Amino acid sequence: MNWIKYLALTGVVFVLTGATQAQQDKPKRKWANLKIPEVAAKDVICFALYTVHDNTLKLTAQLYPLAEGASQEVRLEVEQDGKWVEVATTKVVQPGWTAPFRVENWDDTRTYKYRVAQGAEARYEGVIRKNPVDQDEIVVAAFTGNSIQPSHGGDISRQDIIENVQKIDADLLFFSGDQVYNHTKHYAAWLKFGREFGEIIKDRPTICLPDDHDVGQPNLWGESGKVSTLGGASDGGYSRPAIYVKEVERAQTSHLPDPADPHQIGQGIGVWFTNLNWGNIDFAIIEDRKFKTGPAGRVPKQGPRPDHIRNPEYDPASVDIEGAVLLGQRQLDFLERWVEDWRRAKLKVVLSQTIFCGGAHIHGNANGRLHADMDSNGWPQSGRNRALRTLRKGFAFHCAGDQHLATIFQHGVEEHGDAIWSFCVPSIANLYLRWWEPLSPGENREQGAPGYTGDHLDGFDNKVTNYAAANPQKKPAGNLLNTRSAGFGVLRLNTKTREITMECWPRNVDITLSQTEQYPGWPRTISQVDNYSPRSWGDLGTLTFDVSNPVVQLVDASSDEVLYTIRVKGKTFTPQAPLGRAFTVKAGQDGPNQVVIKKAQVGGPPQSVQLK
Amino acid sequence: MSELDRRTRTEARCTLVLRLAAFFCFAGWTWVHYYWEGPYGVLFWDEHVYGLAERLGISWESFVGSGANDGVIQTVIRQMFWLYLGCAILTLTVRRGAWVQMAFLLFGSGLLSLVAYTKYLSAERQLPMLLEFGGQVLAPAVLVLALALGARHRLTVILAVLAVVMTFAGHGAYAIGWWPTPGNFYGMITKILPVDHETVVGILFTAGVLDFAVCVALCIPVLRRPAALYATCWGLLTALARPWAGMDTTLHYWGADQFVHEAVLRAPHFLLPLYLFLLWRRPPQEARSSQTDEGLGDPPGAPASRATA
Repeated sequence: MNWIKYLALTGVVFVLTGATQAQQDKPKRKWANLKIPEVAAKDVICFALYTVHDNTLKLTAQLYPLAEGASQEVRLEVEQDGKWVEVATTKVVQPGWTAPFRVENWDDTRTYKYRVAQGAEARYEGVIRKNPVDQDEIVVAAFTGNSIQPSHGGDISRQDIIENVQKIDADLLFFSGDQVYNHTKHYAAWLKFGREFGEIIKDRPTICLPDDHDVGQPNLWGESGKVSTLGGASDGGYSRPAIYVKEVERAQTSHLPDPADPHQIGQGIGVWFTNLNWGNIDFAIIEDRKFKTGPAGRVPKQGPRPDHIRNPEYDPASVDIEGAVLLGQRQLDFLERWVEDWRRAKLKVVLSQTIFCGGAHIHGNANGRLHADMDSNGWPQSGRNRALRTLRKGFAFHCAGDQHLATIFQHGVEEHGDAIWSFCVPSIANLYLRWWEPLSPGENREQGAPGYTGDHLDGFDNKVTNYAAANPQKKPAGNLLNTRSAGFGVLRLNTKTREITMECWPRNVDITLSQTEQYPGWPRTISQVDNYSPRSWGDLGTLTFDVSNPVVQLVDASSDEVLYTIRVKGKTFTPQAPLGRAFTVKAGQDGPNQVVIKKAQVGGPPQSVQLK
Repeated sequence: MSELDRRTRTEARCTLVLRLAAFFCFAGWTWVHYYWEGPYGVLFWDEHVYGLAERLGISWESFVGSGANDGVIQTVIRQMFWLYLGCAILTLTVRRGAWVQMAFLLFGSGLLSLVAYTKYLSAERQLPMLLEFGGQVLAPAVLVLALALGARHRLTVILAVLAVVMTFAGHGAYAIGWWPTPGNFYGMITKILPVDHETVVGILFTAGVLDFAVCVALCIPVLRRPAALYATCWGLLTALARPWAGMDTTLHYWGADQFVHEAVLRAPHFLLPLYLFLLWRRPPQEARSSQTDEGLGDPPGAPASRATA
C-alpha cells in the first residue's frame, strides 16, 4: 500500500504546483491590472517626456515592446515650415524600452511640434513649448502618490486631472514620486502611467522624481547605493537589484537636464540631481533619498519599527547621530552654488520627494500615532538643518509630496519661521493615510485658524509652523478618493510680483469653476522673501539701484559667510538682517560682483547704488 | 541494540527535533510581537472591521484609540505576545496525553495561520507567500501528531512532508520567477557572494528548480532521504542568510535584534526536513543488507567499520 501513499503525496505536490501556476495566470480582480496591452506597430510609442534647459532639449520616448526583428532605431523630428525634419536619432535602451534623445543648441524662443518615429508606421506627436520667459505667471501642476489599487480608488479615471491641467494650461508638470506603486513591474506600471497622463505630458516639460515605490520598496534610505536586505528597507540601500533601479531611473529621469554632479553611487546607480530654468524660475531638482542613511541599527529603538518612534518620552537628540546623512555633501555643494546663481532667474523653487519635517502624527490608520517617522526629511535633524540653512540663502520655495497628506509648513532652524516654506501636495489616489493632528494647539496661530496650525515642534524637535493640513476622514469611508484627501496641487509662481500661490484641489472637480472649493487652508499666497524672513530680524537701510532687478547678496562682515543672495524686484530693496551684526552688501546686474556697502547694519541709512 | 530500543531512540530524537522546530518558530514570533510588532495592520483599516466593532458595542474611538491613547486594536496586538510566549513554553512542556496543551499548540498553529494570512495580504495575495508559511504554520501541528500518534505514524509523516513541500514550493515559485522574486533574495546573495546580477539570477533559478525537485523527491522512496538531507541543509542556509547578510559590527547589537529572529522563526524550514531525514535514515542493519540487496553500498576496500558504526 506504500505506493498509494507515495502517489498521493506526489499528487499533493503537483496540485500545489498547479495551483500556484493557476493563480499566476488567473486575472486578479481586486488588484490593478498591469498586463501590458498588445498594440499595433503604429502605436508602439506609448508616450514621451521632455525638458528644455540651457538650450538643450532632452526627450525620452517610452515604447511598448517591439516585435522581434523590428528596427531598434527611434527618430525625433520637428516641424519646420510645414515639413518634418529629423533632429536626432537614438537606439532603444534595454531593459525598459526607453529611447532617450539629447538635442543641443535648441532654440527655446519658439514652440515646435515634434514627433517621435519608429519604423515606417509608429508616430507620436506633441509640442515642445517655448521658454515662457515673457509670462508673468508660471503655472506648475504638482502630483504625488499615483496608487492604482482599486481598494482605495486607484482605479478611478484620471480624466479629471487631464481636463483640469488642460484648462489651466500648466507650464510645467511635477510628479514628486510614487508614479508607480508596483514593486516588481515598473515597466508595465510606467506604461500605464503614460497611458493615463501622456496626453498632458507630451505637450509641456515634466519633472518626475522616482521615489521609494517607484524603485520597488516601501521606504527608501538609499545610503549611496547600498544593498538592503531588511523587510521595510530601513537598514539602508536598495531592495531591488541595481539593474531594476537603473531601469526605473532611466525611464523617469533620463529626460531631465544633465546631472549637476554625474558620478555614480554604489552598484553603479546614477544620480539625477540638477536644476531646470524655465520661465525665469530656477527649479532645483534634488534627491532626498539617494544618499540618506538608513536608521535600523543606527538609532536606539523607539517603536515597533526601526524607523518609527512611538515613545513620546524619548530624547530627540539621541537619534541625531553623528555621521547620519540626509542630502549628502555632493548635493549640498550643488545647492550652495545654486542659491547664489541668479542668472536668468527671478524665483527659486526646490523640488524633491518629501518635506523637511515630520509632517504627520498619525500614520496608516487612525490608531497609528507616531511620535516621529524617520522616512521624513525631519531626520536626521542635523542634515535637515544643513539643507534648510542652504536653501533659505536663495529664498527657495519647496514643493514635494510623499506624505499622502497635503500640508503647508514654514520650517524653522534657529527659531520658528526662519527658513523656507513647503507645500506637500496630496496624492492622486491615497494608499496610506496620514493625519496632522498635534495633541496641543499651535502657538502664534492666525486668527480663527484651526488648533493644528501655528508653531509646533515635530517629533524630532524640529521647529515647524503649520498653515494648512488636508486631513482625511477618520473612519473608513469606502473607496472614494476625496474622503482619503486625494487630489493635486497647483503652484502659481509670479515672476512679476514675486508671489507664490499654493492651491490644493480635490479630485473630480472642475477647478476653473468659481464655486469649486479647495481643501480647507488653501489657497495661500506668500512672498518670495517670506522664505527667509526671521521674525527677529530688522531692516537695513533701503537700497535704490539704477537698474531693475539686480542681484543682491549679504555677506557677514566678520565670518565672510553668505547670509543670502536674491534677485530683487524693481529698483528698490530693503534688505533684512539679524540685529547686532555687520554685513557687506554686494550687488550686480546678473551676479553679486560689486561691493556696494561695507559693514551695513540694521537701522542703517538708505543708499543709492550705481551698477551701470 | 534491540529493534525496540532503536525505534524508541529514533522516536525520541524525532520528537525532540519537532519540539525544537515548533519552539524556535514560536520563540522567533514571540520576539517579533514583543520587541517589534505583529504584522496585523493590514487587517484593521477596513469597513468590515469597523462594522464588527460597532456590533460589539465599541465606539470607533475606543476601537482605534484617540491617538494619545491606545485603542482596542493596539492593546490586542500588543497582548498577543503572551499567546506566542505561552505556545513557545508549551512546545517544551507538552507530553503525550497532555490534551489541553496539545489543543493550545493547535491554537498556536492557528495564530501562525493568521500571520501567514496577513503576510499574504501584504504581498498582494501572492499564493507562494501563503505556501511558504506552511512549514511554520504546520510545525506545531506535526509536533502534536507526533506526541498523539507517534513520530513514525503515517499521518505525522504526511503532515511533515506537506509542510516541507509547501515551504519549498513557495520559495521555489519565487526563486524561479513564477511570481516576482523578492528583492531580498537578490540582496542576500549579492551581499554574501560577490557575484554579478546574471550569476545571482542563475543561482536563484537553480535553487528554485531544486526546491521543486525536493518537493517531488520527498515522495519517491529511493530519493526521499537525500532530498530530506538537501532540504535540511538548504533550509538552514536560507534561514542563516538573513543574519549573515544583514548583521554588521557597526550596528547596535551588531544588528542581531533586527535579523537573528528572522533565522530563528524559520527553524521549521530545516528542522522538519531533518526530522524526515532522521526518520527515514536506514538502521545500520538494514543499510548493510541493502548493500547486498540494492548494490548501493560503499565501494570495494571501504573500511568495514562504516557499515557497522
